[in-house]
Amino acid sequence: MTTGATPEPSATASLDKPAPPGPPPAAATGDKGPGQGPRLVLGKLFDLHTLSLLGVLAILCVIGAITAGDQFLDTNNLQLVLTQASVIGVVTVGMTFVMIGGGIDLSVGAIVALASVWCTTVATQEFGMGGMIFCALAVGVGCGLVNGVLIAYGPMVPFVATLAMMVSARGLSLEITGGSTQMVTVDSVLDLGRRDSYILGIPPLVIIFAVITALGWVLLNRTTFGRRTVAIGGNAEAARLAGIAVKRQRLMIYALSGLCCGIAAFMLVVLSGSGQNTNGNLYELNSIAAAIIGGTLLTGGRGTIIGSVLGVLVFTLITNLFVLNNLESAFQQIATGAIVVAAVLLQRRSASHTT
Amino acid sequence: MASAPPPILTLSGITKSFPGVRALDGVDLEVLPGEVHCLLGQNGAGKSTLIKVVAGAHQPDTGEITWQGERVALSNPVSAMRLGISTIYQELDLVLHLSVAENVHLGHERATAGFVRRGEARTRTSELLARLGHPEIHPDTIVGDLSSAGQQIVSMARALSHDTRLIVMDEPSAVLDPDEVGNLFRIVENLTADNVAVVYISHRLEEIRRIGDRVTVLKDGRAVARGLPAKETATKDIVALMTGRDVEYSFPRRAAPFDSAADEPVLVAEALTRAGEFDPLDLEIRPGEIVGLAGLVGSGRSEILETLYGARTPTGGTVRVEGKRLRPGSVISAVRAGLGLAPEERKAQALFMLESVTRNVSISSLPRFSRGGWLDRSGERDAAHSNIKELSLRPDNPDAAIRTLSGGNQQKAVLARWLLRRCKVLLLDEPTRGVDVGARAELYTLIRRLADDGVAVLLVSSEIPEVLGLADRVLVLREGQVVHTAPARELDEHRVLDLVMEGSQA
Amino acid sequence: MNMPSGLGRRGLLFGGAAAGAGVFLAGCTSNESNDDDSGGSERNQAASNEESGPDVTIGFAGPQADHGWLSAINEHARSRAEEYDDVTLEITEGSNDTAQQIGQIESLINSQVDVLVILPADGRSLTQVALSAMNAGIPVINLDRVFDTPQAYRCWVGGDNYGMGLNAGHYIGEQLKDVEGARVVELSGPDNLELTVQRTQGFDDALANYPNIEKVARQAAEFTVESGQDVMSGLLQAVPEFDALWNHDDDQGVGAERAIDQAGRDEFFMVGGAGSQHVMEAIQADNTVLKATVLYPPTMAASAIDLARACAQAKGIGGLAEFEIPSFIQLYSAVVTKDNVEQYLPTGFN
Repeated sequence: MTTGATPEPSATASLDKPAPPGPPPAAATGDKGPGQGPRLVLGKLFDLHTLSLLGVLAILCVIGAITAGDQFLDTNNLQLVLTQASVIGVVTVGMTFVMIGGGIDLSVGAIVALASVWCTTVATQEFGMGGMIFCALAVGVGCGLVNGVLIAYGPMVPFVATLAMMVSARGLSLEITGGSTQMVTVDSVLDLGRRDSYILGIPPLVIIFAVITALGWVLLNRTTFGRRTVAIGGNAEAARLAGIAVKRQRLMIYALSGLCCGIAAFMLVVLSGSGQNTNGNLYELNSIAAAIIGGTLLTGGRGTIIGSVLGVLVFTLITNLFVLNNLESAFQQIATGAIVVAAVLLQRRSASHTT
Repeated sequence: MASAPPPILTLSGITKSFPGVRALDGVDLEVLPGEVHCLLGQNGAGKSTLIKVVAGAHQPDTGEITWQGERVALSNPVSAMRLGISTIYQELDLVLHLSVAENVHLGHERATAGFVRRGEARTRTSELLARLGHPEIHPDTIVGDLSSAGQQIVSMARALSHDTRLIVMDEPSAVLDPDEVGNLFRIVENLTADNVAVVYISHRLEEIRRIGDRVTVLKDGRAVARGLPAKETATKDIVALMTGRDVEYSFPRRAAPFDSAADEPVLVAEALTRAGEFDPLDLEIRPGEIVGLAGLVGSGRSEILETLYGARTPTGGTVRVEGKRLRPGSVISAVRAGLGLAPEERKAQALFMLESVTRNVSISSLPRFSRGGWLDRSGERDAAHSNIKELSLRPDNPDAAIRTLSGGNQQKAVLARWLLRRCKVLLLDEPTRGVDVGARAELYTLIRRLADDGVAVLLVSSEIPEVLGLADRVLVLREGQVVHTAPARELDEHRVLDLVMEGSQA
Repeated sequence: MNMPSGLGRRGLLFGGAAAGAGVFLAGCTSNESNDDDSGGSERNQAASNEESGPDVTIGFAGPQADHGWLSAINEHARSRAEEYDDVTLEITEGSNDTAQQIGQIESLINSQVDVLVILPADGRSLTQVALSAMNAGIPVINLDRVFDTPQAYRCWVGGDNYGMGLNAGHYIGEQLKDVEGARVVELSGPDNLELTVQRTQGFDDALANYPNIEKVARQAAEFTVESGQDVMSGLLQAVPEFDALWNHDDDQGVGAERAIDQAGRDEFFMVGGAGSQHVMEAIQADNTVLKATVLYPPTMAASAIDLARACAQAKGIGGLAEFEIPSFIQLYSAVVTKDNVEQYLPTGFN
């Protein structure tokens, strides 16, 4: 809050002394992506991303209201969109931490699949909802820890380590299911996805999503964990030389991402009433894309939870508009790609204008 | 010199400024065909900038460049290369996973309709390598597999693969052993015999005496002497030219002379070694003492600092802080024990460029501002604020983005980080690099004050006056070895320069 | 599958001991259920009663069984072969990698099997290796995904995607023929698959016979439960009221049913596709919107074994007058409803 409260003094001060030292082409001053403008302080930039995404959401809503009026402007539809955003949203919160920390996690979809099939086996379901939740979270955290150990202590490149996890977790989930769909028979879990368990009209999955978002925001902005994550993503070498336990931090970031996948897996089980090895298909791409249009740098060191969540909502809303208007899925894929490109270009642009 | 041939290259009145630094301040240079022209000067004198101007990598702000009698603009490295100017940089710019032949012809591949004529390239490369006295290097060898000397030969072959009239060599002998240096000299002689001009940069005076024809001395961005005969000019004159200063920094004196026996040493290193980088080192620093490490780039000074700090794992020896032994190769253990490092590459190694001043300052003291992981952000900001106030960091705004600060203020932020951490031993690696003149004096005062407050300081600097002005005791390093230790008041700049360059007390 | 009884559940759930979690998780991978499937012989038409002939070795190569229908294919082939004492089945580890499947088929050729049954991961890329088997004198029974040229197989046996759509359309049409302005919704498979296009074509062609019916929406899911739930919930929101739904695939149908359940909708009836056990049970129970499904029968693998055996023993097949097996057999996509589900239930796959 303090960051946002007093941006002006620094803006004027930087005019007085605009002298970054040394020869300009030094590697360290290289392009760090959008938002490098020296007069843009963090608070302002945050607003910029958030505002542009809110603008996109508003435009999509207007389009929805015009093209699909009654169906779109309906409480049911709002519940639907938020529910559909919930599962991938929770995964994206974890992915945002990984990306801010300078990494990437390609295994999120596969971990969701593994956790969802593991917690829906006949044996696990015997333990009821508690056992299923515990199993999903334990599998998620376990996979995340394996990722983290490989990356932090291997050390392996995150791309490679999580790619390996992606392949093996998918393989293991296929092995467990043998390709068949595992139906949930625990009534309490099935009920959780039904209308009757909405609390004040809010689906429980949406509540979980909101809670995870809030916790993610607090963790990133109000704790040492978040601060260290930003630090190692911004400059890992500087973080190491500042005395931060970089390896342990990396380990915890990937475990956190795994935990989010475990939570998402259970949510998906509630949503679909089953576990299948094809679950979480393309989550890695969708969550990375959502984080990017939310303003998270692929190179690390910057990103916001709010931005990522808005990014997820943009994608979900696009899907919603296409289904409501009965348009072909091919066009939807094209539109999604175009939105990613447009969002990134727009951010570049607005960043360079302010520079 | 009336009978001398017309110069092949003339620079006159070249200036070049970077934000906050005037790197070249009206430099003149004249290179004759077939001569070995040596460039001398301390670190920061402007040598690197000057050769980058010659190579077309930097554009001068003002000044003229004349090539074979015609005024030219070297707008990029390719245009310089086309004229016949090649540069061999200290950090060789080879593609390590390509072959020798591919590297030599990189950027001007011999090709027909896009297909590289590999056979021809190989033959031509072999010829060049033979001319350089290294026929044993095979054109198909992967460059990364060669020794650094071998890589340098490849770099030279690349320079010669063009129709080169002038070669700039930036400290070519730094990576070579004595035999290889002999071969290098032979190559240089062959080149000059072919009427190719060589601009030769070295710190080693004896090399300049052996192969140099004329010397230009740079200091503070100016050529203080041009075209001196390399063989006749006395060493002490050259050293005087290199060290004489227009701007004399005033170094704050300590209030009372340092009493070396008053306190137990806070930091003790015993036989600390990193094989291949520096020899076993014994070092003691007491609270309030400033110890200086003087030496050239590559003498092992930064390596010693980083090994003490745990950023590099020693191959032998121990480090103790207040009697407690540090875990070798653990920065965390060193920081916990009270060490702090202001590294040489500030932006790459110390700063979080996307973040505010507060966050840069507080990063090493987060536990102090948190309970159960929950940050007390106003407490953090206030503490950072009072620290940067104390260091008179400008702007006086803890929320300012660190990248908007000048180099000096960025360095202050790094110092503030360790001040906030209440560190006991501060390791400073080139603390004034990239810092303009005014801010330097402030930093000196600051370092002095930290020491007066009881912090032990180990200072590395290429600027000998800085070491002598600040330190109580100086260790002179040469090629990983401490060649001399003395109280700073017993040394002067010439003596230290002699020691680091010659390694003897001649 | 059982947790060690000595470990307290409370401790496991809340203590978070890693070891405990590990034991728990390891115990939780089992999918053995008490009401296991019925044995092989009941799962399809009984094997022909002819007496044994000369011993036959059949090589079987299929894709990776990452889908309920495909694991049923393997299962049917295996159990059918076991019913014959003159048949030895050499079955490869399924693979979706074309190169790997080619290698597996080549090694089957080298081990001199008498006849090959191949369900190619991709028909086009495996045509060459099938040709070389034929040239080596090993007849190939091509299962479902067809090779590029008839020269590459002795006999093709497979499902009818167009027929699936056609039969689903006719069933829905007959049910709704008296409803004025009937509205139909289609939840298709992935649009990038040829089979999806064929199914939709058949469906549309059938519906064209019923002028009172309008197809008001069609959206594509990805053959996965997750996508089925996702797309169906959107469809339900988009079309507030309709009379019938055809879903191309029973796997994604699990998600679609879940979405329908969650939306609390029941004004329409739903027709499935492929014929999973779950769907057949629902049809039998008759307490959901699911009223029928059109088959894409995995029993075709059992038929392929029969054909392979007959081919190797130089016999025809029962019920046909010819002395040889046919060269092309397209299976009928039967409509399974409450009336006939009893009969089909054993063929349902998981």
